[in-house]
Amino acid sequence: MKERIKKAASSKVVVTLVWLFGIAAIWEVMAMRVAETKRTPANILPHIGDIVKSIFDAKMVSNNMTAVQLVLSNASDTLLRAFWGFLIGAIVGFLLAILMKLSKIVEKTIFPYLMLIQMIPILGMAPIILAMTHDIGASRIIIAAILTFYPIATNTLAGLNSVQKEKYELMYSYSASKWTIYRKMLIPACIPYLFTGLKISAPMAITASILVDTLQGDGGLGCILSQSLKHAMSIYVFWQIVLFSAAVGILSCTLMGWIEKIVSPMKRIERKQNSIFARRKEAQYEKEKEKSLATGE
Amino acid sequence: MRKKRKSLWRRVNENTYIQATSGLLLPMAFGVILFALWQTEVLHKIFHTDTFTLPVPTRILSVIVDNPDKVIQNVVATVTVAVIGLVIGSVIGYLVAIIATLFPRWGGGGLSIVAACNAIPIVALAPVMTNWTKDVSKDANIRSMVAKTLVVMIICIASMSVNAYRGLTELKPFSLDLMKSYNAKRRTVFFKLRIPNSVPYIFTALRVSIPASVITAVVSEYFAEYVIGVGRQIRENIVLAQYTAAWGYITVASLIGIVMYVILMIAERILLRRR
Amino acid sequence: MKQSTKKIIATLCMATMSMSTVTACSSSETVEEKVTNAPEAAATVAAKSSMSSEDIIKKAAGEGKVGNWGLGNEYEIKALLTKYGQGTDYLSQAFDMDGFDDDSITLASAMTYNELGLVKNSYDGGYKYGDTVGTIDMNDEGVAMLEDNIFCTKDFATKNPNTVKAFLYASVKGWKYACEHPDEAAKIVYEYGSSVSGEHQSYMANEVQKLVTNDTKGKAVSQIGAMNEEAMQQTLDLAKKYIKLDDSAATDKLSKFTLDNVRDNSYMDAVSASKDGKFGTPEKTDVSIQLKWLPQAQFMGYYVALKLGYYDEVGLKVNIVPGGGDISETTAVNNGTVDFGVTWVSNLIAANAGGMNLLEVAQIYQRSGLVLVYKLDSFK
Repeated sequence: MKERIKKAASSKVVVTLVWLFGIAAIWEVMAMRVAETKRTPANILPHIGDIVKSIFDAKMVSNNMTAVQLVLSNASDTLLRAFWGFLIGAIVGFLLAILMKLSKIVEKTIFPYLMLIQMIPILGMAPIILAMTHDIGASRIIIAAILTFYPIATNTLAGLNSVQKEKYELMYSYSASKWTIYRKMLIPACIPYLFTGLKISAPMAITASILVDTLQGDGGLGCILSQSLKHAMSIYVFWQIVLFSAAVGILSCTLMGWIEKIVSPMKRIERKQNSIFARRKEAQYEKEKEKSLATGE
Repeated sequence: MRKKRKSLWRRVNENTYIQATSGLLLPMAFGVILFALWQTEVLHKIFHTDTFTLPVPTRILSVIVDNPDKVIQNVVATVTVAVIGLVIGSVIGYLVAIIATLFPRWGGGGLSIVAACNAIPIVALAPVMTNWTKDVSKDANIRSMVAKTLVVMIICIASMSVNAYRGLTELKPFSLDLMKSYNAKRRTVFFKLRIPNSVPYIFTALRVSIPASVITAVVSEYFAEYVIGVGRQIRENIVLAQYTAAWGYITVASLIGIVMYVILMIAERILLRRR
Repeated sequence: MKQSTKKIIATLCMATMSMSTVTACSSSETVEEKVTNAPEAAATVAAKSSMSSEDIIKKAAGEGKVGNWGLGNEYEIKALLTKYGQGTDYLSQAFDMDGFDDDSITLASAMTYNELGLVKNSYDGGYKYGDTVGTIDMNDEGVAMLEDNIFCTKDFATKNPNTVKAFLYASVKGWKYACEHPDEAAKIVYEYGSSVSGEHQSYMANEVQKLVTNDTKGKAVSQIGAMNEEAMQQTLDLAKKYIKLDDSAATDKLSKFTLDNVRDNSYMDAVSASKDGKFGTPEKTDVSIQLKWLPQAQFMGYYVALKLGYYDEVGLKVNIVPGGGDISETTAVNNGTVDFGVTWVSNLIAANAGGMNLLEVAQIYQRSGLVLVYKLDSFK
């Protein structure tokens, strides 16, 4: 029993909670200082209590909506766009990785350009994509997809390249077709890597979606964020969005973790086996080393 | 016939010289084709756009060449922010990772919170930083420089600490036991095993942080108090519908990212070859 | 171990909770105090500093504390600074007035209908300065440039003259009604998904009404939407002088511009002459208009025309597209995503210099809404 409590106390959840409280404490101390020295402390660093209070505040900040209703209703637009962008980005990223694995020439030719695309500021791409689609909603989704596919493509490619030579040889000895090699060996092997990529790009899709909201107005978290920063409505809307986006970002990452567990429950076992295998190898090496030491070489 | 072709293919594949140069030649060839299509406006037909939103490369270059002083001034501002932010952020990130390694129980949780910083959009972070740094200096230029650097720093801390922590903890199987069998002190384990093990991970982190630092610097310039920087010029020109000039600065921004990345690749090659 | 951990957690929880409750209470008290102490806002009474505008500008420019948002909003400020022999550098003002509030900007840009209201008034988001601030008006200083207009591409105007005329007729009618009933107009905008608070919306409607019905000299406007030749020419002259473009081809083009490169009076002339808004069958009945910013009373005329069915009367189905992003209204109109747009004349001039083919068909705002605002305390 004692052990159990000890275990619970040092469990991940508790640790994270303690950290959160620690940060909250620092925030509060800073907020107190700000409140003493500044005329409009809410713009710089409001008390957490005030932000929470603003969530439950029934006062209308916009057309028949309270602050939290406004944030949530706009969030649905943004998150939906983020979802589609993420989905398209994930599919394109995955397919690109396979394409690059299939042909070295393709890999060498386009890989540097994939990185280059990431470096073009979205603002530059946006008008061109708008000219192509003539629809701002579609452009937003495409931009979110562009911003998210790169980590997925690179990680998946790394996964495909991680397969050991011995495994290939085994497949060749079965005279397996290319399709079978991909289906039975390469794609299962790259799944953990794919999820690493997904975990990175899921919060990115949300960030990107908020950023592209500001492209042409018309609703979305990014829009009311800038509106709130302009003080056209309560500044607490801004703070709520900051907390909300951070929370959703973390949640999206955790969600990917859950999906990974559902999709590939074998991953853990495999990892364990891998490490056992490696340990054995290491042990063998050690033994040989000892032997050589013993013989005095 | 078929056999012969295959053997040629194989010969090409096994020739390290060809392999090494093709890594350079292929993308360049692709680039040349792309530029040719762009210049001859074929690209515009494919994308259903016009030479106004996507000006031809020679026009873009002429804008850069026409305003060397202004371009350099803005590039210096952006590079300073990106590099200082990157360096300080990465150092802090690494220190955070070390602390997390030394106190594993509490460190892991702290790290996940640091990593969560990545989920906060830059658009939200940049204006907050501008507000927080109001008292730093009376000079708006310095003040906004600090604000921008802070944003870049936060982004870099997150990716460095997560990667470095993996480097410091995900040791090769059995290596820790080996050290123990040598009765090595914790300090020795740390300096001889953990730190060298983390070096490749540092580069992994930097490969993510370098493009991120440039993009973050560019975006945070939109919100900065002092009007300077490549990002600010991009925005001013886009909003004013001056696409030729905007593309000039977009090109410059991409070049900054590429140059920094190439420097990293060279450094990585030199440092990791010795191992 | 377990005991100590538990203790730490417990103390931390207690500490943060108690701290946040205490501080939350204390801060809410101070806020209330501020509200009661703040003088009642009177937007119309202009307070003046004992210093002349010239001295105020010189002092602020000397300290490098003149603010503007940039992004094409800065030309009037540059012209004003030049008028008084100052350099044209300015601080980049954020979209809030925090910089003005904390004195990092002592002479800040503000639109009469938006930022100035936030500075003076005490409703949510306001800075509660009341009558303790003074303003320098661009119209009085002779550097006014015209703002919100209605434009489309030259191509669209040539191909759909009846649609353009019908759209202008209904929009002008909407503006006329809105200016006569600003409070009702504010409510209508608010219903259409306003992005700002109700009180601010109503303030904005009353201020916008002044800009639409008075010209730069302060005289009443006879026809809403008609272009005042003199004010347009002044706008173009200032634009030519202060719009600085990196692209040399665009600079050359700009230097040769006359008013005919940016506007066409004929559509508004037809609208003024028309009694019933009948111009023949509209070539295109489904049209959209891109606003310069999010829904707010700045654009009340269009929302009123939509709500009161003025667009239906002329046989048009109108979709109002809110703006406020980085894809500017000029770009959206130019690439055909929308048919009409609302922008500032200077932005249209810059866009045409950059290679767009846009045409102004009506000028809604007849005087500049930009002022420089300062605290009276800073310039005694």
